[in-house]
Amino acid sequence: MISTVAVALFLASWEIAPRLRLVDPFFTSRPSQVLSAGVDIVRGGTLWHDAAVSLSEFAAGFALALAAGVPIGLMLGTFPTLRYLVDPPLMALYATPQLALLPIIVLWLGIGMGSKIAVVFIGSVIPIVVNSMAGVRQVERPLVLAARSFCATRRDVFIKVILPASLPAVMIGVRLGLSRAVLGVVVAEMYVSQEGVGNQIMRLGSAFRVDHLLVYVLLVSAFGLGLTTAARKLEERVAR
Amino acid sequence: MRPLKPVLLGVVSFAVILFSWEAAVRLGWLNPFFTSQPTAIAAALAREAGSGELARSAAVSLREFIAGFGAAIIVGLTLGVLAGWYRSVEYALDPFIWFVYSAPLIAFYPLFVLWLGLGTHTVIAISFLLSVTPITVNTATGIRTLSPTLLLAARSFGARPRDVLWKVALPASVPMVVAGLRLGVGRALTGVVVAELFVPSGGLGSSIAYNGGLLRTTDMLASLMVIVVLGVVCTQGLSAIESRFDSWRTGPGL
Amino acid sequence: MTPHIRIDGLTVAYDKPLAGGAFIAVANLSLDVPRGTFVTIVGPSGCGKSSVLLAIAGLTKPASGRVLVNDAPVVGPGRDRAMVFQEFALMPWRTVVENVRFGLELQRWSGEDLTARALRYVRLVGLQGFDQYRPHQLSGGMRQRVGIARALAVDPEILLLDEPFGALDAQTRESMGDELLKIWEQDKKTALFVTHSIDEAIFLGDIVVIMSKGPGRILETIPIDLPRPRPIDLMDTPTFVEYRRRIRHHLTSETPARA
Repeated sequence: MISTVAVALFLASWEIAPRLRLVDPFFTSRPSQVLSAGVDIVRGGTLWHDAAVSLSEFAAGFALALAAGVPIGLMLGTFPTLRYLVDPPLMALYATPQLALLPIIVLWLGIGMGSKIAVVFIGSVIPIVVNSMAGVRQVERPLVLAARSFCATRRDVFIKVILPASLPAVMIGVRLGLSRAVLGVVVAEMYVSQEGVGNQIMRLGSAFRVDHLLVYVLLVSAFGLGLTTAARKLEERVAR
Repeated sequence: MRPLKPVLLGVVSFAVILFSWEAAVRLGWLNPFFTSQPTAIAAALAREAGSGELARSAAVSLREFIAGFGAAIIVGLTLGVLAGWYRSVEYALDPFIWFVYSAPLIAFYPLFVLWLGLGTHTVIAISFLLSVTPITVNTATGIRTLSPTLLLAARSFGARPRDVLWKVALPASVPMVVAGLRLGVGRALTGVVVAELFVPSGGLGSSIAYNGGLLRTTDMLASLMVIVVLGVVCTQGLSAIESRFDSWRTGPGL
Repeated sequence: MTPHIRIDGLTVAYDKPLAGGAFIAVANLSLDVPRGTFVTIVGPSGCGKSSVLLAIAGLTKPASGRVLVNDAPVVGPGRDRAMVFQEFALMPWRTVVENVRFGLELQRWSGEDLTARALRYVRLVGLQGFDQYRPHQLSGGMRQRVGIARALAVDPEILLLDEPFGALDAQTRESMGDELLKIWEQDKKTALFVTHSIDEAIFLGDIVVIMSKGPGRILETIPIDLPRPRPIDLMDTPTFVEYRRRIRHHLTSETPARA
């Protein structure tokens, strides 16, 4: 109720202020313009191609991050010595803005899809590893003790207790990784690329086509939001 | 000796990485054009530090960071307290906070350049927007989830709403606020560095981008190292502060 | 007649990682448990009662001394012993029946349908109808019944119960104790039951073992000469009260352990 009113007010003032010459529509555009730009973009051809490029870079990078990150995180959580060795560089990496690595990755992998996939991978693998690791470490001791009291082998304990018990934490890592992945692909494309949504955003920006630019930005936000909401729903189903 | 083990292994870890990196380059396994080497980076850092170059770019970045994060603290705390205290404010702000939190703000960069020009102001704006959200959200949550028992106790001593706010709600929310600050610091730093990749404001990120364009790997990595150190220092620092307030934590079950 | 369980000079110590040195939970404790007896162990906090159980279960290694079951030394967990935990230790992602199956799966039982067997024990502890529920949907008492069912399902010779009702409120404790006895009467397995509560110790046990403050030793072993089955109002009888007095006396008059 109040939220919708607030948003409605915002949209209304956004629409009206330029018309009343309170702000220059060149700088801010208007919801109506953004809407019609949106229609143009959807009807036109380039969106689908750009979206496809960005999506595949995102999917490839994130899939790799999952495949590598979850097992590594679980292992780090299980073996303390390994963890002590890997933790400091890992935490250093976590504390670094993932996108600061952008230029060096571009140096190594060029301006094609490879560098974007790498950025997505690095950005999302770290929260996945860190959270999976934390998930293993926070498994409650009584659960492990109970399993051992019933003659569980180390393998049993890992598969029947640690894995299911750390699942909620892994899901958190996945959710965090998802938002970093979306950010990563778009910004990497903005930095340097030949195609993709980020690339399109930069072109529109330099051409001062604010309305079209906003459409793309909103699309990216919606996508990111959709993903994280889905991830949250999954998280809730997994947690008890 | 045992508590020393993680620290020791950590140091060993870094030492091994640096050592093998240097060795790999000298043995010809790694191409220094792509990876540079620790000794070269150290030399570059020393040179830049000596010439004041490092200090200059670090100073620019730091100034932007302080401006952005500082503004975020002021705005974030204010909005957070209001949102935590007044339900209607929370509802009104919710969709906007949600949006700013989840949208890839850097994508708005062309818009910011349009509005604020190609310089420091854009960087500060992006840094501000990125960090204001966790501060607001955490502050609001901290105030809103005030333990009902504490509230009851305060009111039993005749506290009026204003007393409850200043003497109970605000102090009780400090742990959550500090957590929000910790999240915000990381994001503010990210905002500064990433914005600088696109905006030549003279900061550390700009120098990475600049050197990247000239394929000067060593200089790039030198600036990157500084950023990594800054990132770690900020995160660890705030984590430490956060721990000190752990004992202040109250929960719904208190 | 060899005792079912023989504890011989048991010492259990834990490392103190920060302070250095070791924390001695149990010091040179010896105890014989005849087959089919319900032994309750009572003592103050930190007296090592749980450590004794863990040693019998094979979950901690003694610093010195040994534990023998059927004259064979305990080297680790086994099918002959099963434990019920104070914190329930149920797997939150498993339903009630899946939790009861847990021990059966780990011990690789074959030759019968595990779920069917598990369901029998779910019914035994009075949780029929709840087999598809998850632990978070159950009350504390119900959760512990799952824990008991899980332990019974593997048909152990020895039942080890570590303050199983410690996390429950007073009334639930009483009714659970009553129910536990009814279930135990059916098989009369050897049972060791650790508790804080003197009343619980007397009500449930054939023998009450009183432990000292840590490092734990046995202060006294008191056979409880009360007929079974035991109704709840037994607690008001003079004999019961007298046992209570004796045990409390032992617990409170103990000289403080030297620092």
